[in-house]
Amino acid sequence: MEKNIYRPIKCEVIDNIKESPTINTIVLKPYEEFSFLAGQFASLTVPGIGEAPFTPSSSPFDKEKIEFTVMKTGRVTEKIHELKKGEIVGIRGPYGRPYPLEKFKDKEVLLVGGGVGLAPIRALFLALVETYKDYKKIVFCCGARTPSDYIYKELIFDKWQKLCEKIPLCFRITVDKRDENWKYMEGVVTVTLSNLDMDIKNSVAIVCGPPIMMKFTTLKLLEIGFSEENIYLSMERKMYCGVGHCRHCMIGELFVCKDGPVFTYQELKDKPNIWV
Amino acid sequence: MEKLYIKLEDWQGFIKGKLEGNRIYAPVENNNFLFYEILNEKNLEKVVYDKARTVEPLKIFLYPIKEFVVPEIENIENIVVMGVTSCDLKGLEILDSVFIKGDYKDLNYKRRRENLLIISIDCKEPYNSCFCNLVGINPYPEKNFDLNLSKIESGFIVEVGSEKGKEFIGDDKRFYRINETQIKNLEEDRKKVIEKLEEINRIFNLKDFENLEGMYQKEYWEISDVKNCVSCGSCTFNCPTCVCFLLEDTSDDGNFKKVKVWDSCLFPGYAKMASGETPRPTLYDRYANRMLCKYWYMKDNFDIIGCTGCGRCISGCIGKIDKRKVLTEVLSRKIKV
Repeated sequence: MEKNIYRPIKCEVIDNIKESPTINTIVLKPYEEFSFLAGQFASLTVPGIGEAPFTPSSSPFDKEKIEFTVMKTGRVTEKIHELKKGEIVGIRGPYGRPYPLEKFKDKEVLLVGGGVGLAPIRALFLALVETYKDYKKIVFCCGARTPSDYIYKELIFDKWQKLCEKIPLCFRITVDKRDENWKYMEGVVTVTLSNLDMDIKNSVAIVCGPPIMMKFTTLKLLEIGFSEENIYLSMERKMYCGVGHCRHCMIGELFVCKDGPVFTYQELKDKPNIWV
Repeated sequence: MEKLYIKLEDWQGFIKGKLEGNRIYAPVENNNFLFYEILNEKNLEKVVYDKARTVEPLKIFLYPIKEFVVPEIENIENIVVMGVTSCDLKGLEILDSVFIKGDYKDLNYKRRRENLLIISIDCKEPYNSCFCNLVGINPYPEKNFDLNLSKIESGFIVEVGSEKGKEFIGDDKRFYRINETQIKNLEEDRKKVIEKLEEINRIFNLKDFENLEGMYQKEYWEISDVKNCVSCGSCTFNCPTCVCFLLEDTSDDGNFKKVKVWDSCLFPGYAKMASGETPRPTLYDRYANRMLCKYWYMKDNFDIIGCTGCGRCISGCIGKIDKRKVLTEVLSRKIKV
């Protein structure tokens, strides 16, 4: 019989890491080969509970395991947070249009991630690091509400910063509200975009975060000279099939599942209610 | 394609002979409306061949209200559906585009489609809600059928539309060659039906529906008729081209099970995300979405509009909304703006 597009691949939960009070990263070992490109997503089945789309946060180059960083917001995500080692879940995909790395070649790349929006950015960042010679430089702007809301703390505050010594990379890190030990910037993520040491005309920006953050980040990027076609947004909508059949994820005539989830601002700017 | 003639009683005899070994559905009248019934020797003579569309759209045979997509269904039987009208055949083009023509094929749909034989009919008595003429469709089938029956005098002109249809007839001697007079009579009959549709739809103007492109703003859609929508979803479930569904997971013990269930974009929770937010918070946003999906998004996605003029969304509307009136008004607003 032909391939059934709805049948997931079985995966074993090999770890479930607490990142912040509301966000966990689950580490899965797929029983069959599964590969994806940064920005693509997969549908994750928690048996008997439901299925929801997530963009993997692990490196696309890692063929052994796949990670999803998930914020607890509803029925399925709540159960994901409770998954224990050895439990079986399902994934199907990958779906959608990835970040077009070929278009980033010889350019300066600005990554802007807020909160759980750092998840897809992490997969992209890891892919960029693997191929760093292709880009002039990488500027990574991160934001979260408070220091404890940061995900990937060990990576952002330690391991990844050490890479700056070896490759053309720098970090700009902020929180909406600091605490007494905070040594980076304070303010919403757009504060990291002032006085950027970048050649804007030869740069691309990749933005992922809550809708309000993406909105104001996009407006700021336009203000500092980024063109609409060089701003890449990762969009989220209610989604079931992932393959352009069920029509739940449509933004105007576009499908988030197959035309996206990565869109340029130019593609979206005239569409209805994009900042939801 | 080849055209033949068969007398009514011969056709009934022919179908009677097909009952064994075939599951055949056909329209039977009930309270002035036509509903599909499984044919048997008892209801065979009650089949209606010379009225209009059925209440249920053809999609129910290809895309059931609720079905398992995982695990795979083992047996999908061959069925014959009779009495399909032109509007539903056009709808089939959208269903095919969504479920089998893209990169991802829906297995159940594909198998059902392969196992379906369609015997269509000419629409003879369009309802007041019918408007196929306004969306460029004729009330008689021109393609997408295996056999088409056009009722004339005391029999049918049978047009063979596919190899499958030809095989179904085989070398049955009850089918004759048609003559020129019969063809002429059929053409005149068909013309009369078109004239009737034009009369029914005289006061509506949808000819510029491509102008709906870009009309997302709910202000265009804030008109009194739309306010009567109670978000029941009847228009979407009765529509021959509405395809929206949701998936439920009922897996247990590591055996994946997934159920696909019809959904409606008019339901307030349809596009609601885990955050609780929805991009279409008002009734007008949702109503606009359905209209734009029909007349623009599907055209953009598949190069065919998603409306076949069957009028089920009008006749089935609890709020008595006449879509033709709404669209005529909305389009005139665009001109004013």
